[in-house]
Amino acid sequence: MLYLVFVKIVGLIQKVIMEDNKLRSDSRRGFLKKLSSGSILAATGLAFNSLSSCKDESTEKTTLLTPEGKLVQVPNSEIEAMEHLQHGAPPEEARQGIPGKKYVMVVDLSKCKNARKCIHACDKHHNLTPERPYIKVLEMKDNEKSSPYWMPKKCFQCDNPPCVKVCPVGATYKRTDGIVLIDNERCIGCRFCMAACPYSARVFNWGNPPEGKLDIPYSPETSLPSKQGTVAKCDFCPDMLRQDKLPHCITACPNGVIYFGNELEDAVTNGEETVRLSTLLKDKAGYRYMEELGTKPRVYYLPPVDRLFPFEKENSENSTS
Amino acid sequence: MKTKILHSAWGLKISCLVFIMIFNANIVCGQDDEIKEEAKIALSFNEDDRSKIIVATATNISNEPIEDLELYFYIKRSFSNLPIGDFFNSTDETGVVEVEFPADLPGDSEGNVTILVKLMDSDLYNDQTIETVKKWGVPSPSPDHIDEKRSLWAAAANAPIPLIIIISALIFSIWFIIFYIIYILFKINKIGIIDSKP
Amino acid sequence: MNTHVKHQQEFKDRREKDLLRHILKTSWRYKLWIAFLVLVIAIGMYGYYRQLKYGLIVTAMRDYTSWGIYISNFVFFVAISLVGSLFSSILKLNKNEWSKPLTRISEIIAVSAIICAIVIIIVDMGRPDRFFYVIKYLRIQSPIIWDVIIISTYLVISLILLYSSLLPDLALCRDRLTVIPKWKKKLYRILAINWRNHPNQLAMLQKVTKILAISVLPVAFAIHTVTSWLFATTWRPGWDSTNLGPYFVSGAFMAGAAAIIIAMYFIRKSLHLKAYITEAHFDKMGKLLVLLSLVYLYFNINEYLGPAFKMVGVEGEHIIELFVGKYAPMYWFVQLGGLVLPIVFLLFKGMRRSFPIFIISTFIILGAWFKRFLIVIPSLQHPYLPIQGVDESYLHYDPTWEEWAITLASFAWFLLIITVLIKLFPVIPIKKHEHVSKRHPILNF
Repeated sequence: MLYLVFVKIVGLIQKVIMEDNKLRSDSRRGFLKKLSSGSILAATGLAFNSLSSCKDESTEKTTLLTPEGKLVQVPNSEIEAMEHLQHGAPPEEARQGIPGKKYVMVVDLSKCKNARKCIHACDKHHNLTPERPYIKVLEMKDNEKSSPYWMPKKCFQCDNPPCVKVCPVGATYKRTDGIVLIDNERCIGCRFCMAACPYSARVFNWGNPPEGKLDIPYSPETSLPSKQGTVAKCDFCPDMLRQDKLPHCITACPNGVIYFGNELEDAVTNGEETVRLSTLLKDKAGYRYMEELGTKPRVYYLPPVDRLFPFEKENSENSTS
Repeated sequence: MKTKILHSAWGLKISCLVFIMIFNANIVCGQDDEIKEEAKIALSFNEDDRSKIIVATATNISNEPIEDLELYFYIKRSFSNLPIGDFFNSTDETGVVEVEFPADLPGDSEGNVTILVKLMDSDLYNDQTIETVKKWGVPSPSPDHIDEKRSLWAAAANAPIPLIIIISALIFSIWFIIFYIIYILFKINKIGIIDSKP
Repeated sequence: MNTHVKHQQEFKDRREKDLLRHILKTSWRYKLWIAFLVLVIAIGMYGYYRQLKYGLIVTAMRDYTSWGIYISNFVFFVAISLVGSLFSSILKLNKNEWSKPLTRISEIIAVSAIICAIVIIIVDMGRPDRFFYVIKYLRIQSPIIWDVIIISTYLVISLILLYSSLLPDLALCRDRLTVIPKWKKKLYRILAINWRNHPNQLAMLQKVTKILAISVLPVAFAIHTVTSWLFATTWRPGWDSTNLGPYFVSGAFMAGAAAIIIAMYFIRKSLHLKAYITEAHFDKMGKLLVLLSLVYLYFNINEYLGPAFKMVGVEGEHIIELFVGKYAPMYWFVQLGGLVLPIVFLLFKGMRRSFPIFIISTFIILGAWFKRFLIVIPSLQHPYLPIQGVDESYLHYDPTWEEWAITLASFAWFLLIITVLIKLFPVIPIKKHEHVSKRHPILNF
């Protein structure tokens, strides 16, 4: 029954996409207006997720089912455009965590070769400029003798978050699903949270937002449209999580560096393999960065041992940063 | 020991659940041109104090056990399916494969887990997935258990009580003094009014 | 008002004449000074207009150096404001006779500084339009809220402190000053709230002064301690210290005393009050300044010795940056020119004369301002994780002209408030309280 409903919704979306293809002049925004309801978009996402098992990476097209039972190929860019334009819950609703979830991330430092795909995906979906990303891949070296390694760093979504503690107006808050978000409609721009964060995870909208005016309702779950004079940071993409989809940085990573999952389910996935969180952390000696600060991060690291790639600096210099 | 479990498994077989969902075959771009057989996979669940075991029995159309059929066992999770059992789980000569369910794996708030048994990429049999909900998981904490407690990082409404008391006491005492002084200044004013018109 | 006025102002005695005449006469120097201050403020306003229009992007602050000279200036003004309590409370409670003529100067400076601190913190906000969110969405857990509460409390207490000591003199202005514009007469009449030197009124005012002298001290300590907690509640190198509260408070007293000396020097010169602010006062202030500086030196040693001895990670990098790195010239100027050398010089009697001590105090004030720069900025430039993958402008902090203009405007604003208050009211208490309490000799003033 449910399946049939999905098929119908997919059919509907298909029609719209076809129309959009015909009317090339129509802008993406116009396309969004047709589908302005966030719920339909969310459902679409779900449908895509469950039905796109024939995803072919090389042609960058996704096969979808039409109501007539035919399979059609849709370029991935169309889907991404939609993902980009879907928005999360409004500010008050976004304060409630997704029930029954406690999100957790594990970053396997032995697999990262600074491909920087996570940064680009994040920049794209959060409308960020390259000189001020949410994610940073840092070149680390623990001591003089040890070899350098790459350390992708996002917001650690701490369970004892120093940034949330200091916020005078409760603009940044901790949700029950473990995510720390910022309500840019409440932030007064005092930047105390930035001073308090020991991991420098937070960035500030110093000037006008780079994207200009984005014609969508504001949601703290996407931090879009961004607001001048307020703080922003990595948010674990709750708009995706609401549809049980992985955050953009994880799906973008070509090396399966980042694992993500629900701690309450004891499972994390990098999009390809799924492993038990407890087993992974036990077997690979998972640790949290600067445990001694007592911030209880929700991001774990697996030590950079038995590296898959040699450490090469060139890669980082080629790419924009 | 093992035979004992096996025996009980056969004994419990009536309770087993057979779900063959064909929807996958429809949507997915499976090349249905080749002639493949339908395999019947029967699941049974053995449970004792020490272990929880999923027993899958594969038979073909003529009810003969299928040997060396690779089955995949998963537990459904938020973003993906968590594989359980060994790396390869193949049926033996009786068509049976056993996989132990990890006893410490969390389920939902009531302990329910969705177990998926998949037959995939077989040369002889069509793909199929059997989905079963079982109350085998460790119940995860209920939502009210996770709810925020009073803490320094909580919302304004959940500030620690001692903090509220201390700050309120300090504000009250100093502003009491301030208002008292303002009151005295008013009194000074009054005396002046009386004094100026004798 | 000038000599051409038909009706000549008459005074009861010499003291009254000396202390009230500046209210009547407005010199061209005063007008020029006001014009200069207004000009500086106007330039700052233009800088702030640009900041409002384009956002904080016009400043040199970026994601790592997320607090700049606005915050160090804020800390500086909070520090200066503590001086009110030094005179109205500590010196009073210790029955110091000599400090009495300086009390009002200190109270005026305190009021002005705390107003500037409030203004400058609003300037630093990314969204000043949401200022009242701190009341609407108040989160009692945040040290910023504690600071907002304590600063507003201290502002009220400082105003009351200034006002209550001014009250008899306001009545005197109302009664004595005849050749003044109508609005001024009205102002004195309203502010003097029917003060008639009635014994009951005197007794009540005594009571007020007593209560204030005792209650202002914990509030003054709290204001700067809470300000230090804005830093001490984080993990930044140089901030993550249990020593920060007393370190800030002691530094504030030193800077405040230096500010008083500078103010004394100028007031004495421009209002011709050589008979009231004497060389003996400068000598006493010099000795007091040495004492306060020594206390501050002690906390300074405490603040730097531990981290410098241990050299832990970024804390060590921060220390190296201060001692021999990029900020070394500023650091040693602050520590030697603004702390050690003043102590040494002020030990000599000749150095405690009005002019040398004025020069020394200027150095102390400059040192105090740059000290707060050194407290705020280098700490932010040494995060635990290396600064990589960001725009080049994020790596350093060189304040832009808008920041300097706004900062200088805040100083002009500070001086403007002081100047106007001094112009309106007698800067040295004219009325001496004859009433002496026999029961509590320690509370006699």
